[in-house]
Order: sequence, then C-alpha cells, then structure tokens
Amino acid sequence: MSNPLADMDKPDVIFCIGTNMTECHPVAATRLKRALARGAKMIVADPRRIGLAEIADVHLPIRVGSDVSLLLAMAHVIAREGLMDQAFIDERTAHGEDFMQHVAQYTPEWASGISECDPEDIEKAALLYGGADRGAIYYTVGVTEHICGVDNVQSLCNLALMTGNLGREGTGVNPMRGQNNIQGAGDAGALPNNYPGFQTVTDPAHQAKFHRAYGRKVDLETGMTKVTALDLCGDGIHAMIIDGENTLVTDPDRHHCEHALKSLDCLVVIDIFMTETAKVADVVFPATAWAETDGVCTNTERRVQRLRAAVPPPGEAKPDWWILSQLARRMGWQGFDFGSAKEVFNELCALSPLYNGLDWDRIDRGEYQWPVPARDHPGTPRLHEERFENGRGIFKMLEYRDPEETLSDEYPMWLTTGRRLPQYHTRTQTGRSDGIDYLLSEETLEVHPDDIVRLGLEDGGYAELSNPRGCVYVKVHGTTKSPKGTVFASFAFEDVPVNVLTGGGYDPVTQTAALKACPVALKPVGPPPALSQTGPETGFAAL
Amino acid sequence: MPNPTDEALIARWKDEPAPLLPLLHAFHARDGYLSEPALRSVSKGLRIPLADLFGTVTFYHHFSREEGGAERPRVCNGPVCSMRGSDVLIASLRAAGHDPHAMPCPGRCDQPVPVIHGRTVLTGKTAGSLVTGPSPLPAPAPAGVEECVFAGIRDPGRAALAGYRAQGGYEALTGAVTGRTPDGVIGIVDRSGLAGRGGACFPTGRKWRAVAEADGTPRTIVCNADEGEPGCFKDRLLMDHDPHALIEGMAIAAYATGAERGFIYLRYEYPETLDILEGAIAEAAAAGLVGDGILGSGFSFDLMVRRGAGAYICGEETSLLNSLEGKHPFPRNRPPFPVTHGYENLPTVVNNVETLVSVPPILVHGAEWYRDLGLGDHAGTKVISLSGDVAQPGNYEVPIGLPLMELLNGWAGGAPPGRSFQAVTMAGLSGGFLAGTDLDVTLDEPSIRSKGSFLGAGGIMVFDDSRDMIRVTRESMEFFAEESCGKCFPCRIGCQRLVERLEGSGPRTVEAWVDEVSDLNDVMKKTSACGLGQAAPLLTESLIRYFPDRIRAHVGAPPGPAVSARPRKG
Amino acid sequence: MRHNGAALTLTLDGEKVAFTRGETLYEVAERHGRDIPTLCYDPRLEPFGGCRLCVVELEGARNPVASCTMQADPGMVVRTRTASIEVQRRILMEMVASENRDADVDPMHGYASQEMAELLDRYDARTGRFAGATSGTSRPDDDNPFIKRDYENCISCYRCVRVCAEQEGDYAISVMNRGFHTQITTEFGGHLKDSACTFCGQCIQTCPTGALGDLKALANRDVPGETETTRTVCPYCGVGCSVDVMTRGEKIVGVLPAMDGPANEGALCVKGQFAFDFVHHPDRLATPFVRDDETGELRPASWDEALDFAADKLRKVVRDHGRRAVYGIASGRAPHEAAYMMQRFIRAGLGTNHIDNCSRA
Repeated sequence: MSNPLADMDKPDVIFCIGTNMTECHPVAATRLKRALARGAKMIVADPRRIGLAEIADVHLPIRVGSDVSLLLAMAHVIAREGLMDQAFIDERTAHGEDFMQHVAQYTPEWASGISECDPEDIEKAALLYGGADRGAIYYTVGVTEHICGVDNVQSLCNLALMTGNLGREGTGVNPMRGQNNIQGAGDAGALPNNYPGFQTVTDPAHQAKFHRAYGRKVDLETGMTKVTALDLCGDGIHAMIIDGENTLVTDPDRHHCEHALKSLDCLVVIDIFMTETAKVADVVFPATAWAETDGVCTNTERRVQRLRAAVPPPGEAKPDWWILSQLARRMGWQGFDFGSAKEVFNELCALSPLYNGLDWDRIDRGEYQWPVPARDHPGTPRLHEERFENGRGIFKMLEYRDPEETLSDEYPMWLTTGRRLPQYHTRTQTGRSDGIDYLLSEETLEVHPDDIVRLGLEDGGYAELSNPRGCVYVKVHGTTKSPKGTVFASFAFEDVPVNVLTGGGYDPVTQTAALKACPVALKPVGPPPALSQTGPETGFAAL
Repeated sequence: MPNPTDEALIARWKDEPAPLLPLLHAFHARDGYLSEPALRSVSKGLRIPLADLFGTVTFYHHFSREEGGAERPRVCNGPVCSMRGSDVLIASLRAAGHDPHAMPCPGRCDQPVPVIHGRTVLTGKTAGSLVTGPSPLPAPAPAGVEECVFAGIRDPGRAALAGYRAQGGYEALTGAVTGRTPDGVIGIVDRSGLAGRGGACFPTGRKWRAVAEADGTPRTIVCNADEGEPGCFKDRLLMDHDPHALIEGMAIAAYATGAERGFIYLRYEYPETLDILEGAIAEAAAAGLVGDGILGSGFSFDLMVRRGAGAYICGEETSLLNSLEGKHPFPRNRPPFPVTHGYENLPTVVNNVETLVSVPPILVHGAEWYRDLGLGDHAGTKVISLSGDVAQPGNYEVPIGLPLMELLNGWAGGAPPGRSFQAVTMAGLSGGFLAGTDLDVTLDEPSIRSKGSFLGAGGIMVFDDSRDMIRVTRESMEFFAEESCGKCFPCRIGCQRLVERLEGSGPRTVEAWVDEVSDLNDVMKKTSACGLGQAAPLLTESLIRYFPDRIRAHVGAPPGPAVSARPRKG
Repeated sequence: MRHNGAALTLTLDGEKVAFTRGETLYEVAERHGRDIPTLCYDPRLEPFGGCRLCVVELEGARNPVASCTMQADPGMVVRTRTASIEVQRRILMEMVASENRDADVDPMHGYASQEMAELLDRYDARTGRFAGATSGTSRPDDDNPFIKRDYENCISCYRCVRVCAEQEGDYAISVMNRGFHTQITTEFGGHLKDSACTFCGQCIQTCPTGALGDLKALANRDVPGETETTRTVCPYCGVGCSVDVMTRGEKIVGVLPAMDGPANEGALCVKGQFAFDFVHHPDRLATPFVRDDETGELRPASWDEALDFAADKLRKVVRDHGRRAVYGIASGRAPHEAAYMMQRFIRAGLGTNHIDNCSRA
C-alpha cells in the first residue's frame, strides 16, 4: 500500500475495485466503513454485488476482465470535466498531455459496450473520484489476476496521477495483500528478478554486493517465474522445494499442476500438514506453525512486525529457516550456520536498503513501516510524499484487451473465483479449527436466479461446470449477488476444485494467472454420490 | 384504491426530510402492523441497518409488530384515568369483543377515560358510551385577568385561516418580515421575558440568538408537540383550536434565526390534531405564509409535521431530534446543545407549542405588555392543565405568580363535595407531590422550586383526601419505569427498584426501606443523564416527606417514631 | 486560536493541569493518573454516558457531570473523587450488582470480562441491597460455537452494540425495548448466524460482565495452569493484526485482540479471533517423511535420514541437469526468515535466481 491502514478512514472518496474487502480483509474494511459513517462516498467496481457494493454510493458491476475500459472512460470524464490536478501533473508527472489526448476517444458509452456498466454510472463514479479532495483507490487480486493485470494497475495509477491523489493523507493506490507475509516474502528476496529489498538481479553492483555477502556469484539473468517453472517441470526444471504452499490446489489448471509436480525427479515440501501437494512429494519436512515460530512478517502497509512463539511445536517440527539451512549444509554449502531467527533476520536487514535501519530488537513493537534506510529514520508510513522513487510519475497509454478466452456458444458463462470470510485459502487451517465449518461447511456456486431458470438448474441442486481443462460438480446457490451470465465459487473446499478450470492465460509481465475470468459451460446434474467423501485425487477433479 | 406497494411508499418518502417516522406510519397504516418484510423494505430503502431499525421500532409504544395490532384499542391507565376507572373500561371493551391494551396518558385528563382506536380518539367510561369530540375549550378567564395565548381561542372559526386573520392573525409575521430585522424580533422576544413553556424555562430570546449566531446551515425550527407528560393537555388545545398561531410563531422564529425548515414533532396520541395541523399548513402555504418567498420577501420556510409513535422520552429535546432523524431515541449527551448541534447536527431551535404560540401576540402588543401579564416580578402567563379531584378540570392560562390555592378554589371550583385536597402533582408527574402547607405556593418556579419541586410544563393533578397516595405514587412510578429509555443506569435500574418497593417487595423494615429508597432517590437525581431519571424520584422523595405514616403502613412495620428522610450523604 | 498558543488549563482536584482542545474530562483525568470508574466506556468508541460511574463534580454545574462526555474547557474546576461522588458510585455499583444473576465470571469470557467484578470489589458493593428483578433474557438457543449470549448478566452498557456499529461497521446487533426491559438483539430477535454478524468477536472482548463470552476459550477453562499471553501477529490475511495468544502450559487456549496493535487497534475478524486451534490439530506433521523406494509411499523418517535423502536427490538433479534445474518456491505465510533462507539456498547455493513466492497464484 502506498498509504497506511490508518489512512483508510480519511478519504472523501473511496474507489474499491476488484477487492472483496469485507470478506478477505475484514479488519481493513472496518476502516472504510468508518469513513463512510463519517460521510465519505464510495465507488465499488466488481462484477458481483459484494458486501462493499451493498454499502457503496455507486456500484459498477463490470464484466470480468473489462477493468481497463472502465478506467479509461473514467479518465476520459475527469479530463473532459477538467477535474485534473494540473499542478501535480506539471510538477510530478510525465506525458500528461499525451494521456489526456489518448483518453479523449474513450467515452463512457464506449466503455459501456465492453464493461456492460451503465454509462451514467461510469460518469457518476468519475465525477466522484475526480472531484475528491482525498481520493483513495483500493484493490486486490480481482485487479491483478487477469491477462491485463499490469494494465489494470497502471490504469489505476493513471487516475491517481491525473488527480494528484498520491503522497497525501487519505489518498493513494493501495493493493491489499492476501497473506500475512506475502509482502515479506517479496521483501526478503523470494523473487526471480530481485534480491532482498527489491534490488534487481540484473544490476552488476547488486551481484557484486551479494557475491561478497554469500561468497558466490549469482547469475545476472532474471530467474524464471513460478508459472514458467511449472510449465517446464520435467523439461528443464527437475527439482522443486516448496515451502508452505498448496500449489496443487491454489494454482490455475490443476491437472497441469499435478502433472508438472509428478514429472519432477525431486520434490521437497515443507509444510505443517500433509497437503495435496505434500502427498506427491519425495520428502516432506514438518515445519513449526504460527504461534510456534519466532520470526518477522510484513503486512500490507509495509509494517514490519514480530511473530512470537507461544507454544512448543508437535514432535520434531522445526522452523523453515532451520530446515533450509540444514539442507544447505547437507548439500555441502558453506555459510549456513545460523543459530536463530534473529541471526537470519539481522542478515536480511544488513543486506536490504529498505531494512538497513532495522534489526530484530528494533521491531519489537512494530512501529516501523519500510523503507527504513537508516538507524535514525522514523520509517515511511506514506510513500511518494515529496517525490516518486523514480523521478516522475509516468502516464501509460493503455488500450483495452479482451481476455485470452472469451465467451462462446459452447462456453457461454463467466466463472470468476475468490474467497469467503470464514475460510482461508484451501482450509488447511480454518478447516481444522473448531466451529468455522458452522459458518461455512460446503462450497456453492453463486448463480443469478434468472440464469438458474434459463439453464434449467435448481437452487440447491447440482451443476456441472466445465471447459476444455476439466469439469467440477458443485451445489447451486441462487443469488442476485452474481450478475446474469457470471457465476462465482471459491477455491476453499477440496471437493470443489475450481482451479481445475482456471488457467486461461497469464499477464505477460508478471505471469500472474487469469484466475478471475474463465469461460465455462454450466448444466444441471443429479446429486453426485457421496460427494463429501471423494478426495481431490480420486473424486470429480480427476474426471 | 389498491394498496400502495413497498416501492411506492419508499419512493414517496425516501427523499423527504426526516423520512423514517412517516414511512413507518405509512406501512403501519397499510398493513395494520409492521411486518418483517415491511421492515426489510424500509431498511433497504432508507439504508438503515436492519437490526437498528428493528430495535428502534420496538422502542415506540404504538408501533405494533403483530398482525392486526394497529387496530387494537388502547386505553389510558394514567394516574387520573386509573382513578376514574380505566380498569372498568378495559373490562367493558373486552366484554364487547375487543382486545384492548393499556397505554400511558394520551393527554385528555380533562375528559373521561380516552381510548385510541386506529386514527380516532374516543372518551367515555364504558364501551357503550364512547364518543368523539373536539378538545374542550377553556373556561372564560376570571374578570380582570388578561390572557395571551387564550385571548382569541374561544372564537369560532379561529382554527381556519380566514377566522385567524379576521382577528389579526399573521399581522405579527407580516410586521416582522416587512418591518423588522431578525435581530429586532429577537430583541422583542428577549425583553418580553418569554421563557420555555415546555418546562425548562430557558429564555426564548437567548435561545433564538444562539441559533442565529451559530455556524452551519440550514438551520431548523422544531416545535416540540410531543406533549407526553401525564396530566398535560394544553398543547393539544392550542393546536386544535389555534393552529395558525403555532404556524405563525414558527415562521417568526425562522425569520428571526435564519432557519429554512421546520418540523412539528407531534405525539402519536393526537391523530385529529395531525389532520388539523396539516390542513392549516396547506392553507398557510397556499396563502404564501409558509414555503418559498413568504409574503413576497426573500424569506423561505418549509414546515412539516412528523408524527411520533409513542415514547415519552421523545419529549426530551435531544431524544426528539434523534427520533426525527430516524435514530434510536436515546437522549444525546449535552453539551453540545441543539442550538449549535441540533437536527442533523446543525443549529436548531427546539421550542414548545405554548412558547411559539405566545410569540405573535408578543410581537403585536410588545414586550412590556407580555411582561406585565405576570404578577409581581414574574413575566407573562402559563397555561396550567388541571385534572383529577377538582370541580372544574381543564386548561387555565394564569398570570405567573398566581397562588396555587386561588387557582384550585377560585378558578376551578375547589375540591369535590365533601372532600379536601390531600396532594397535587407538579409538572405533570415530574415535579412529584406538594401537600400540606406546601400547597401555599404561588405558580412560579422560584416558589415551587423552594419546595423541592418545579412547575415544568404546567400539569397539575389533584388528589383529594380519599386517595391512596402509595397507590398513586406506584402508578406514577410505573409510568416512569415504562418510559425510561434504558440508556443510563440510575434511571433504568432505579425506576424499576422504586416500583418494586412501592409494590411491597423490598426491605421489610421501615428503616431499610427508607434507606434504600432515599439512596435511589439521591443517586437518580444527581447522576441520571436526563430529566426523566432526575425527576422520577421526586415522587418518592415527596412521598417520604409528606406521607411517612402511609409508608409505615405500607412496609408493614409496627407504629413507631416518625419516619424522616435520611440526611443527605457526603 | 483563542489562547494564542498558551496552554489550556483547568483545575483537577485542586491541581492546575494542561489539556488540549477536544479532550474530555475523563481523558484529562486519566492522563493525570486518576482512576475514574466506568462500565460503558471503551476508549475506541464514542463516549456514551450511560453508566454514570464516571461522574465528577464540576463547579457551577447543578449536578455532577459524566466526565466521559464532557469536553474540557479552560478554567473548569473539577473534583473527581469527593466523598459524595464516591457514595454515588457505590450506590450505582450496588444497583448494577442487583440486576445480574452473577457478579463473578471466568476471565476466559473475554478481555474486559472482569471489569464489573473489579469495581464491585473496589466499591465494596456486594451488599445485596436493592434486590429485585434481574434484567435480560439469555439466549442458550443460539447454537453458534463462538459467542455465548448470557444476557442475564447484561447491564445494558451497549458496548457490544456500539463496537459492532462503530468499530466493525456491521450493525448486527441493536437494542430492543426500553428501560429495564432493554434487551440486546439481532434483527427480529433471531440467532447471530442469521443476522449481519460476522463473528469477529469484538462484542465479547468489550463486554464488561461476561454476559458475552468466548466459547472457544471457555471450552479450555479446565486446562490446568496459569494463563499466559504472547504478543504475535494473526496468521491469516495481510492486514497484520496484532493478537495476544493465551496459553496454559503447552496449549493455546484462546486469542485476545491486542488493543495497542498498530495495524488493528484491537480489531479482529472471525479467523484471527477463533481459528487458532489448527495449531494443535492431530493432522499436524510431527516428523519428516520420505518416499519409500520400495513401496512408493511416504513413510516417517528421522531428520538425519530425510535431510540426507533430500540432499542426495537434489545433488543428483544438479549432477544430471545442472544447477538451473532446481527451483524454490517460498511461502507468503511463513516468516521472513523462511523466504530469506529459501532465496539464500537458491542464490548462495546454486547461483541462480530460480526463486519465487506464491503471490502469483
């Protein structure tokens, strides 16, 4: 996030797009609700009538994957009405004039033809955001998990740049991160293009720095992404070490994933449970879990906080860092003699310019948000206050692109996927916590009541969802939360492995998978026998 | 005509000011109760959280949540009606096949027991003898007594615009709009000594000036016509027979303070008054006396009536404002006061009906004239609603400072034959009792406050020597317990505990009984958040003061030395 | 500014103290070390002024004023603990005690559950005076596994209703009826599951009497040992809410929100509040596993065997296919040290950048 969580109750106008925050980041959403109670206005762009949409002033039910068209049209209206922050554009951005010319062609009527939103609502949303003194944008993977994920984010940046909604209290372009340390995994250098602290691997100076630190010269060339690596399993990639991720279930195109992992000569999995992924491994190492592990995590607002062990782990489970450093030693490598999480973290701090001012003891109370470049630095709750890291904010001339797969006679419905409040990811944790199933014990497919009638489905009956990658059986739930022509399911339950179906393309820059827009066919079926007993490997997913 | 749909009702009210109460009334009238689907529609239509809406609906006495509930007859069981046989009437209605239930005082203590049935109010003593009728007019003032608000009220035709104008009505407004500055109007009201006639006695001119000078627009004039105090029925009389005086008074207040909108918050129990007010506002609007560009000037003032739904606490001005805004009608914390943070947190005048009705004559006759209506140092007049054991109950406009006994004996014909006065309440029920030598007070705040009571809104219930004062106190305390809003601890728990002690449960020795009751009295008076909780214990306090023997008999202790209230702690 | 930057002051128990505009008398007094009793106050919520325990004497005011709602003004003369005020507080506490079934509840009910009992002790108010009807109707019929709804111990402070509205924005519960018959309710009086409740547990944690209780923690009330707490961060989404994990011996017995947590300021959601016991689930891996060459099945192994087994296999891959044939995927749910060590393993060990994390999923 460019701005701190504490800013979330301060905007005049909130623009949420592709974020089901009340279910996925409930505590952050409470701050938005406080802003609304204070009189702020809210625009929500989401195909579904999610909880935020219910309390929004404008809900834009965009067709999945059409974000760029909507955002271009909003920029069009803002430019046409002269709602830009010209001083900001002049002082802090580049190519502003070109951008205003570029968006002149993209009217709300044009965008309406693509996004299926009412042009008047697009107009209204643009006037609201463009007219705000403090306008803030929040998004989640509903924006990024598309073939045009980067374009979507850059479109949002364009809106913020043209209205000067960056670097001030209650503004910003704010991604909400989905896992408690997904930000930290990137910070720590678990990226194919960056060393710790987002130092690019292609820069020889960085190479030299880490050569000195690690005693080994690392390739100057960017590594492959996980998506590419999975594609190349058995064909260039022959071993994988996977820590704490149920790749088989969470990644798109499950059959492809399963095949990929089984093609490896060696799969090492570190986890706390025998996940579907662990079951196909050659070696499984038992890790300590939350509340058993001392360590550090960074939240979505770049706040660096301590995790503390409260209880001993079961049996012989060990911290991940210990497992990996022991494995490195068995590989015969030098320099992996770490005695504690503290030693590991302090090495990271020494090597990361974002963390140079931090160490294990300084983050005891969690008051620092990175960058903290030096000991005397107070941390950076708000990015871009005085200047952008790279000089000027650059407007990008974007154009709308269709998803890789679009609707056809054969696959006439959009499937979009997501999460639900009580369950987390694939239920490895929430499914093993007493009581959570009381709130949500099975997955259902949310279908608009008109589609139920049109397709001959039955509310509470079963449907078969299919596309060329596979098919999934799921119980039907009629609700106007889904727009006509779009159905929704989460990937939480193993008996409804919707990621069997997803996987129609990736963003060319980030290789993030298009999990949010997937054409499918939908037809009624009888109740499947013993649905709940069938596991992912033997059940319907295998069909 | 087919019933309107949910959507039509919501569309009718959604964009109006203060829409919740009228919308709920529309559903209540259409369906005969507030059904679950109706509340879901309202919640969605007005974007009020459903749980909040549900909770708020349950707060009001007269919104029914059961099918057919709106049509159930409601029978007054207030202290005076209880003496006059509300039990008998309830039994009689039941025998006649109705399903009546009791309600707190609906403001008709000058008539036999009132019953609300749908939008009709009837009075009578048995099911077979119930009749409808207008509010009784006041008796003529004694010779030589000059009135302010009653001066023209007995004239037939006064309630219609033509009749009102024939007697000089709206001349005050015309004179103000065409010939006076807002500040000039406030100056006259200020000098007249007019003070809040709802009972708080805050100087009206000062209140108006505070609103005129406060930041924030639009400003609002709210008329507090939620005359919920048992034993008070003066505002109903004024509105029924002189509605244009109220409209004129509000328009003058708006002109003086720069307000653009006004509400009359009318209690549920006055359905006929609702029709009268709405008719009068329509007449005034058609004549250019309210609405846009009043009397051809640049001054505009929109006036609306909002009907309450049965909650005594909504007579407390901040509860009233919350109720208008569609919120749970708990009182607000003060400060800030409504003059700066009133309706929708903007500057707001909240004045009682009688206060506002006093304004036009003051502008016409001048500040000195009004001042001189009072006796001695006291300014102006006060309408007293007199009920109970007195020969001629009714409303009397008295010069402030008039001796109470002169009102009771000289004006109202004294005690019933063969009886003597045992006690009277003050401020409806809120002032507790006066009895014995304390009946020698004069009708002004300094005199009455010196006896530990207050004049308030001017309701006086009279109890002769045949009445059981424990029972009267218990029934009165039951009213406060029923009406306690539940926000603050001393009132919520204290009213309940006082009722229990008056019912006969609680300590079994007089000492312990008085000890507990005195502690409750003290803590309620000192720490309650609003006037309800501060006033309710005046009943038990005055009971202990005037009727120690009755307490001794009530607690069942053997005769002993006289009971006296414990000295105040701390 | 009216005061041209000069400090604003008032007199607090005879001492001249400074305050800032907007502070309430309660806040000023607390900042100066007074311990004013309250039951309806939660610093995260708008002051309500319901319990009246925080009343103080203000010179010029007819009655004591509620310090929680009264804004400080220059020149005020305030007394927080006169004999008369203390007497009224004691009577109020006796009244509060009289309306409840129980004065004492297990601390496992929630964060604030001991507040009433502590004040009853402080004011020596367990006298049994003012006995009479008790208020509130409990809802044992609500079968949700998280929130105990024992309203016979409710004192109608509405902290639960207010935290649900003001802090969570859920508006799931409200106040029904009035006066002594006040009852906390959902829409139409149903179960929490059928309401707008998201089971965040905030109502439990702010309840000062244990009328609301954490059923998951209470299920552990008989676990032996003293309850200890450890500050850490919730394991779920990226908001990074601070929690205090309650343990007895080697068992997690519950979770408390950290009221001073920098990201959440005491707020939590259903997962952070209640989904903690996966840690002790019997499915937890307690030993390494290796795939048996003969059976093809995973079987338990010692650390020594498993580490050697993995290292042998990895070395073979490097031998057969080169160092670029090994790929590492770090977790977004493990700490920095895990991700850092994974990239260090790949970079320092193999010299490649074949490392990623799960953020692309």
